[in-house]
Amino acid sequence: MKPQNLLHRPFTAQKCTIGCPVLDRCLGGGIPCNSITELVAESGLGKTQFCLQLSLSAQLPTSYGGLSASSIYLHTEFPFPIRRLHQLSAAFRSSKSSILANNDHDPCDYIYVQSVQSVDHLLDIMPNIESFIRNSKSRLPIRLIVIDSIAALFRSDFENTPADLKKRSSLFFKISGKLKAMAVGFGLAIVVTNQVVDLVGPNEGINGLRVGNLGCLYSSGRRVCPALGLAWANCVNSRLFLSRNEDFGGEEMVNGSGEDFVSRRTRRWLHVVFAPHLPDLSCEFEIQRDGVFGVGR
Amino acid sequence: MEVSRLPISASQRGKLISAGYTSLSSLSSVSPSDLARDLKISEREAVEILKVASKGNRVGGSDGSQSIINGAQNAWDMLHEEEMLTRITTSCADLDNILGGGINCKEVTEIGGVPGIGKTQLGIQLAVNVQIPVEFGGLGGKAIYIDTEGSFMVERALQIAEACIEDMMEYTGFLKNDLQRNLQACQVKMQPKDILENILYFRVCSYTEQIALINYLDKFISEHKDVKIVVVDSITFHFRQDFDDLALRTRVLSGIALKLMNLAKKFSLAVVLLNQVTTKYTEGSYQLSLALGDSWSHSCTNRLILYWNGNERYAYIDKSPSLRSASAPYSVTSRGIRNSTSNCKRIKMM
Repeated sequence: MKPQNLLHRPFTAQKCTIGCPVLDRCLGGGIPCNSITELVAESGLGKTQFCLQLSLSAQLPTSYGGLSASSIYLHTEFPFPIRRLHQLSAAFRSSKSSILANNDHDPCDYIYVQSVQSVDHLLDIMPNIESFIRNSKSRLPIRLIVIDSIAALFRSDFENTPADLKKRSSLFFKISGKLKAMAVGFGLAIVVTNQVVDLVGPNEGINGLRVGNLGCLYSSGRRVCPALGLAWANCVNSRLFLSRNEDFGGEEMVNGSGEDFVSRRTRRWLHVVFAPHLPDLSCEFEIQRDGVFGVGR
Repeated sequence: MEVSRLPISASQRGKLISAGYTSLSSLSSVSPSDLARDLKISEREAVEILKVASKGNRVGGSDGSQSIINGAQNAWDMLHEEEMLTRITTSCADLDNILGGGINCKEVTEIGGVPGIGKTQLGIQLAVNVQIPVEFGGLGGKAIYIDTEGSFMVERALQIAEACIEDMMEYTGFLKNDLQRNLQACQVKMQPKDILENILYFRVCSYTEQIALINYLDKFISEHKDVKIVVVDSITFHFRQDFDDLALRTRVLSGIALKLMNLAKKFSLAVVLLNQVTTKYTEGSYQLSLALGDSWSHSCTNRLILYWNGNERYAYIDKSPSLRSASAPYSVTSRGIRNSTSNCKRIKMM
């Protein structure tokens, strides 16, 4: 066993661009390799949009912030949003045509989609995934694994009894350990998505269950916290949180049309809850036809 | 440090300390030729040092306290030794205060807290701070960083290292001129990339690897005597899966703890173990406690718990044989662990 010399590693960990310079800047270049990044949000906020866009932008050459790599997309919620992927892929293809190596590059060819029905199924296919990555003959090696979403696997199969919860958290560490080992072995970026649950009761003090640097997570006016509890929080390296709030009668909308018009605008935010390399910060983003974009300041 | 009491020249003393010879007992068994090689000095000089050291040994034991069993110490000597103990600063004055000056060498310190509280940040900070040269009140040692979770980020370590060097520059500004020249000379030598080079980083991907590495550390450190801190981030991760036999887990973990404790004593280095928290069901309510159970909590000398209090991070001394329980705020800034700035707004880095 020999220690690694830190000077032989790049000074900044390799990152995979999200496909938007504003969000990349916010995250210090994108999603880091060799670690697990978790994306937490309530439904309909854009977790899947982020993941789809990420698996497209991973195909960009490294000089453009990508990994020049293909990706594995494990989805646990049905159906897989194949039409949205095609839409994003077409936009990606037309906007990045000059960058992509050859013209007949179809981004969809480089995203391997697999459905996962249960935790056991996930553990079963893990060795297959590993050998698939190792033996992949594709032009672009696999450098990104997306699991969308991890929460759906765990939220149905387990009872709320101590024995089941103990088994559940042991599985968290098992899955996370395997994913991290793969991440280190192949230099993968791993993204998992997670759902939220409503938070009841206080979460302060030495016995308070407060995870990360945001005092409370608010989304759609509700106080929420990531699902799967404290044990899972220990399993991820970075946690990003997406939230939304609704503005009534924003200034820009008022001068647009008549006075009776009550404008309602949804604003979405990306927060860093914890990450070893990032300070706590937030960034506003929007979901458009062509993908997810940060709102520049 | 006993060596610092020896009547030898400062440069010899410096060489002895940087080669890891800090106690008289470590000098008692070494041959002059080995010492000469380790210190890169002439053999005659080494003989001279050993002569002084053996005299020092006799003087120490002359006041009627001849040790009966080899290696036994009386409490007076131990008190003296404890006063000589070097500590590694956390870069947060409030935290250093409650710790009695920093993280103790020769002891195992466990640091636990919820995800995102700054355990890894503190670990990186200590791995950087252990390298502060002796002239600046540091140890001038190297660090071993054992990463089981993959949260160590080189870019973050670089940031903290740069800030640490900046702080040392600032420190020289307050000193008198004659010292300053001396300090500036060694400051020029210190570069952020040197700091990174002196963090010996191990990435561990399973508990078997972790056990093997800890068994190997003894040999490794005896080849790298200038290692002054071992950080394990985190001790827990691989032991929270696949262990149905909890009795086995307890035995394996106490074996690890014992080895680390021995390392700390033998090479007079600090061992810092980062731990996760879990919920524990007692008397009808869930409470937060550090992972790995009750028997593990006996394994460490000191235990520091990090927690949130309002919008501030706090550290609390949960267990220590010598320190009273106290808590202190700290904050994680872009420059590393620093004093909490509750009165002024935290600056967001954007």
